[in-house]
Amino acid sequence: MQMSLVTDSPVHSSSSDDFAAFLDASLDSGSSEETEDSDQLETQRVKRRKVDKMENIEELQDPTSLPPSLEQTAEASMKKDVCTHPGSFGEMCILCGQRLDADSGVTFGYIHKGLRLENDEIVRLRNTDMKNLLRHKKLYLVLDLDHTLLNSTQLIHMSPQEEYLKSQTDSLQDVSKGSLFMLSFMHMMTKLRPFVRAFLKEASELFEMYIYTMGDRAYALEMAKLLDPQREYFSSRVISRDDGTHRHQKGLDVVLGQESAVLILDDTENAWTKHKDNLILMERYHFFASSCHQFGFNCKSLSELKNDESETDGALVTILKVLKRVHGMFFDELEGNLVDRDVRQVLKTIRKEVLKGCKLVFSRVFPTGFQADNHLLWKMAEGLGATCLKELDPSVTHVVSTDAGTEKSRWAVKHKKFLVHPQWIEAANYLWQKQPEENFIVNQTKNP
Amino acid sequence: MFFHIVLERNMQLHPRHFGRNLRENLVSKLMKDVEGTCSGRHGFVVAITGIENVGKGLIRDGTGFVTFPVKYQCVVFRPFKGEILEAVVTMVNKMGFFAEAGPVQIFVSNHLIPDDMEFQSGDMPNYTTSDGSVKIQKDSEVRLKIIGTRVDATEIFCIGTIKDDFLGVINDPAAA
Repeated sequence: MQMSLVTDSPVHSSSSDDFAAFLDASLDSGSSEETEDSDQLETQRVKRRKVDKMENIEELQDPTSLPPSLEQTAEASMKKDVCTHPGSFGEMCILCGQRLDADSGVTFGYIHKGLRLENDEIVRLRNTDMKNLLRHKKLYLVLDLDHTLLNSTQLIHMSPQEEYLKSQTDSLQDVSKGSLFMLSFMHMMTKLRPFVRAFLKEASELFEMYIYTMGDRAYALEMAKLLDPQREYFSSRVISRDDGTHRHQKGLDVVLGQESAVLILDDTENAWTKHKDNLILMERYHFFASSCHQFGFNCKSLSELKNDESETDGALVTILKVLKRVHGMFFDELEGNLVDRDVRQVLKTIRKEVLKGCKLVFSRVFPTGFQADNHLLWKMAEGLGATCLKELDPSVTHVVSTDAGTEKSRWAVKHKKFLVHPQWIEAANYLWQKQPEENFIVNQTKNP
Repeated sequence: MFFHIVLERNMQLHPRHFGRNLRENLVSKLMKDVEGTCSGRHGFVVAITGIENVGKGLIRDGTGFVTFPVKYQCVVFRPFKGEILEAVVTMVNKMGFFAEAGPVQIFVSNHLIPDDMEFQSGDMPNYTTSDGSVKIQKDSEVRLKIIGTRVDATEIFCIGTIKDDFLGVINDPAAA
């Protein structure tokens, strides 16, 4: 039946009746009560439009009346309307234009206001994107802002010793060269971490990069402007806390990348509870005094000491090497299909090499009665490839201790084993390299 | 589509505007209030073209403000489903692209981009045919068909498609 209808009137365009209806309504009267009415009419029409090719003929015959064939439409839509509504923009399906309920799927407000996608569509996009990316020999990299790439402070929180900075700020006209910026309209001062520009430049050749920060949207965009004035690295891939799906948590669900190909650079491990395996933990960058105080350090900040991280040997330099290593291993060393490779596995392997061959015994590190193999340091050491033992034996290479006076510490000295401070493990964890033991000497405590 | 229609609005005017220039004040306030706004019913008010008439003012008790019913002619813009529009691409990403036709924001999903056009990432993301002859990127002009509209109090959203005959790029800034 529908076929015959179509052949009867093949030239009818679907726009004209909508237009006719609009004119019709508008000619009737211009009062406001009409608005709702026509809106209703509109929605009914929208519903009907799904099958407009089939139904046009009836509308043509009688464009002013309400849908004469609702039953028929419903029937037809059962047959014809197979749209899965993969996502919505402004509450309309991106595929068929039909009005949808607001709250389904994941919002992608950071890409464009009003955009939402369903899970199936996200999976589909990730898959196609993955192939595209692998062809360009790239992976994904999610970057945190504060304490990772830069450090910001409120102007009112600046200490008197930091006042000198206000005369040393770089011009906002050409941000691509400077590293210290006064954003007076946000009442903030921001210091970029040394080496960050070179870092971004080199990383952008290996990775598709995202910014993901717990700051708000305005702040995130402002920082993106400082880091990437030409908009060549991040384009619209700037995610702020307003865009996340969970409070106080960061998640990869709003990142359009396969989890097996995402690396995360962040200074806060707790923010990524679900994605610890993707995370490369950064040593925090504290330039301003307020940032030190916030984390409970009472020492002088870099700004007060008029000092800074090394441009040639800082944390970002180290991490860039690790990133290159992961990237190289992922593409060149692993066997098997590219799509099946997993960057988390690579990360684990590389991490395991850091303290490979070390056998550790801890002394006076864990509180008494604490189950040792649950402790953070223990797990960290194992993650770095060391073997941890509870009791001494001749194969032990390092004793990790906070006190040189303990029995195990003295044993270490006597048998010419390394005696190191727990910070030795933490440093290795941050720097991805076994550190010289002599830099982590354990001090004698005064009490016997 | 554009329409030239007559609309009515009650304007409240502060007594300080009374005097010889009352009418001018009224009109300039009307323009300021109405032009550029959006109504669910009529779409986007582009410009006021003339005043039909100004009714009798009514003095409000207590405030001294006077309300004038003003009838005015204006050009409005409202997109319709099925309408063909020309728009400028504002953003291209793996989900599709966003375009603007004046105040109207249009999203074209990659489902509704011809299958032979593939997404290319990079600092200038774009959709390109396999032979490279057609490219959609930021600032390209495209002809598209509206398949869904939603008119808010302040914004108009549309869903568009270019997967149809005679739709797609009409001018390519990269080629120019």
